[in-house]
Amino acid sequence: MLCLALTACSKATPSNQPTGEVKTGPGVTATTIKLGSLVDLTAVFAPLSKSLVQGTQLFWKQQNAAGGVCGRTVEVTVKDHSYDPQKAVSAYREISADVLGMQTVLGSPVISALKPSIDQDNMYVGVAGWSASVLGDPRMQLLGTTYDIEAIAGLDFLVRTKGIKSGDKIGHVYFEGDFGENAYHGSQFLASKQGLTIVGQKIKASDTDLSAQVTALRNEGVKAILVSAGPTQTASVAGVAKAQGLAVPIVANGPGFTPQLLASPAGPALKENLTVVSSMAPPGLDKPAATTLQQAFTKEYPGAVPTQVGSLFGYVQAQSTKAVLQKACDNKDLTRQGVLTALHQLSGLDTGGLVAGTLDYTNPGQPPSRSVYISKVDDGAPGGLKVVDGPLVTDAAKTYTPGI
Amino acid sequence: MSDAGRSRRLVRPLFWLTVTVLAIAAPLSLTSFWLQTGLFAMAAAIGAIGLTLLVGVTGQLSLGHAFFVAIGAFGYAFLAGSSDRHLVGFHLPPALAAVGAVALAAGAGALFSPIAGRLRGIYLGLASLGLVFLGQHILYNAAPVTGGYNGRDVAPFELFGFSFTSTNPELSIFRVPYGALERLWYLGLVLVVVGYWYARNVTNGRPGRALVGVRDSEIAAGVMGVNVARYKAAAFTVSSAYAGLAGVLLALAFGRIVPDSFGFVLSIDFLAMIILGGLGSFGGAIAGAVLVTALPLVLSHYSDSIPFLAAPGESGVGAAELARLMYGAAVVAVLLFAPGGLKPLLRLYPLVQKEPSYEPKSPGPGSSAVPGPDRVQQGNAQQPTNG
Repeated sequence: MLCLALTACSKATPSNQPTGEVKTGPGVTATTIKLGSLVDLTAVFAPLSKSLVQGTQLFWKQQNAAGGVCGRTVEVTVKDHSYDPQKAVSAYREISADVLGMQTVLGSPVISALKPSIDQDNMYVGVAGWSASVLGDPRMQLLGTTYDIEAIAGLDFLVRTKGIKSGDKIGHVYFEGDFGENAYHGSQFLASKQGLTIVGQKIKASDTDLSAQVTALRNEGVKAILVSAGPTQTASVAGVAKAQGLAVPIVANGPGFTPQLLASPAGPALKENLTVVSSMAPPGLDKPAATTLQQAFTKEYPGAVPTQVGSLFGYVQAQSTKAVLQKACDNKDLTRQGVLTALHQLSGLDTGGLVAGTLDYTNPGQPPSRSVYISKVDDGAPGGLKVVDGPLVTDAAKTYTPGI
Repeated sequence: MSDAGRSRRLVRPLFWLTVTVLAIAAPLSLTSFWLQTGLFAMAAAIGAIGLTLLVGVTGQLSLGHAFFVAIGAFGYAFLAGSSDRHLVGFHLPPALAAVGAVALAAGAGALFSPIAGRLRGIYLGLASLGLVFLGQHILYNAAPVTGGYNGRDVAPFELFGFSFTSTNPELSIFRVPYGALERLWYLGLVLVVVGYWYARNVTNGRPGRALVGVRDSEIAAGVMGVNVARYKAAAFTVSSAYAGLAGVLLALAFGRIVPDSFGFVLSIDFLAMIILGGLGSFGGAIAGAVLVTALPLVLSHYSDSIPFLAAPGESGVGAAELARLMYGAAVVAVLLFAPGGLKPLLRLYPLVQKEPSYEPKSPGPGSSAVPGPDRVQQGNAQQPTNG
């Protein structure tokens, strides 16, 4: 364990010999490119992370079979951080020297804790999450649009189709922290534009019974509820609202839904009232890219349930990383800086509809896309969701500046 | 006995010399993963020493240790940090900020100590548990000071112009570049040694005997002239200061701190450390801290190389799950097979029967007849003096 003989295993001489004509950095050899993934395989986000990793591994398996990137196969080292910043920092240190970049890092407290190291290592990071707080960071790649733009599109959908009008009250149940507060920023924006009143209910991730919050919203006479929280919270809101006779439409951000909820007691309530807004396509999207993915996924993981912000996101995130690496390869620079340069040269990246709209990374500080899918719960469809609208960019979102 | 005694006298310094040399040379060959893990373990060790002083020596259960660690960590970040658009900071010299952060934690401990003086055992545990939840709420909402949910950056440490970063001055020893982690390693070592030494001195002296008296029987201690409330308050304050120091080191090791790191689980981890170490022993507390902090990290480091595990994403037991299972099993195994904690395992001669601890010393006044704090110590000589 302890290397004692200094000469034998000193860490003194790191060497980066250029291989071939492409300049290479850490994690790249003549035959392989190594990426890292820091996800939560053992704590609250374990089911989501597992699905996500399935998507990632599926993509790279296909891509490696088709020749890899830049003549190299891509390997992703997946590490568990149990949603614990301390473990995450250790896990990061463990793999950082051997990887070119991070395929996925999940969890905003984790990303915050890792930030000094990421900056120091100049590491490319694929973010699992859609908070606007990472937008200004040149090393973080957000895939799709932000939570606040999702919230705007969700409220706009309610106004267009569910008869919500100026003067109405809308309940917004949101997580404290990055995710919820970012979404709340968006709902405030649209409310002021449309003359709606937002009744906010800030909750913690540990709050799973939302009876008190829903009762408060019912007493306020809300006409719809927006949920920017986890699946458990969405289920609680829908279930309690139905039990209390509060029959209003419910809109959730992407991470607020998982198909496993349909088997829960809240299932019928969700089927009646829930609409999900996300820039990720539902796995059952009727487009060739999604259909092919769905077939490959079922073949690779029989019995596994595809999820919108899990497996589909993992797959399409890997796909976008491939585009970044390809660009870096074309620039003949597979170093960490080379990857970041390549990322910010990418625009008009089309994922065949897996991400709503096209992705543009040339404007730091701006979301790569402002487009979303609006889906309804449908237990027959893969992933439990069926598109009802989109990809669309709402007018209000076009001029909006994301923020927290 | 005399043979064993002689070789013991010889082996002991040799052992410590080796440990010292290894500890000093470690950054030359350890990778950043091991250095980071080591730093976390050192920070935990300092906190565990403080908690031992409170729980092991004074017999006051505290579940609020994470709260005081958080005060130390965020206190340092606040005092040493600079103000910007979102954050407030005092921009003090880092060394001064560290002292200030420890003082803040100690002050918070002193403020809480009247409550600690009135409650005992599990009731005190529960009251201190409230602090953790209070602390979490404050950390999330006092955004200008703590940075809120996403935390704030920690200013690097600096002592007499020597910066604990990779530059200023740039430093290379045996061609190994000395970056932040390598330099912090030595700071951590010094702090652990000083913390251990101070705690030993406190418990081996008059205050320590009074604290042990308080633990064993508050009434008896009171009858013997120990001001129980004052000693309990002092124990709480000193223990909080240790927690604060642990927080400062933890903050420096992180580089950026987020409220999520200072929740209830951290308090439980600290309790696990001192229980695994063997209650009341500072050396045991350090061993427990290393075990609790490093074992999960080390297990997950090596569990990848175990065959037949499910790859991440596949169903079945994967490396991450196995590491958790093994950690749980290790904790149970220590409690089952080392009932006194890790403390007895630390002795150099586990097979040599320990001499009776009341070996005739120079018969001095008060060794048997005079009732007083000395007697209290004699009755419990096993507990507080072992390293």
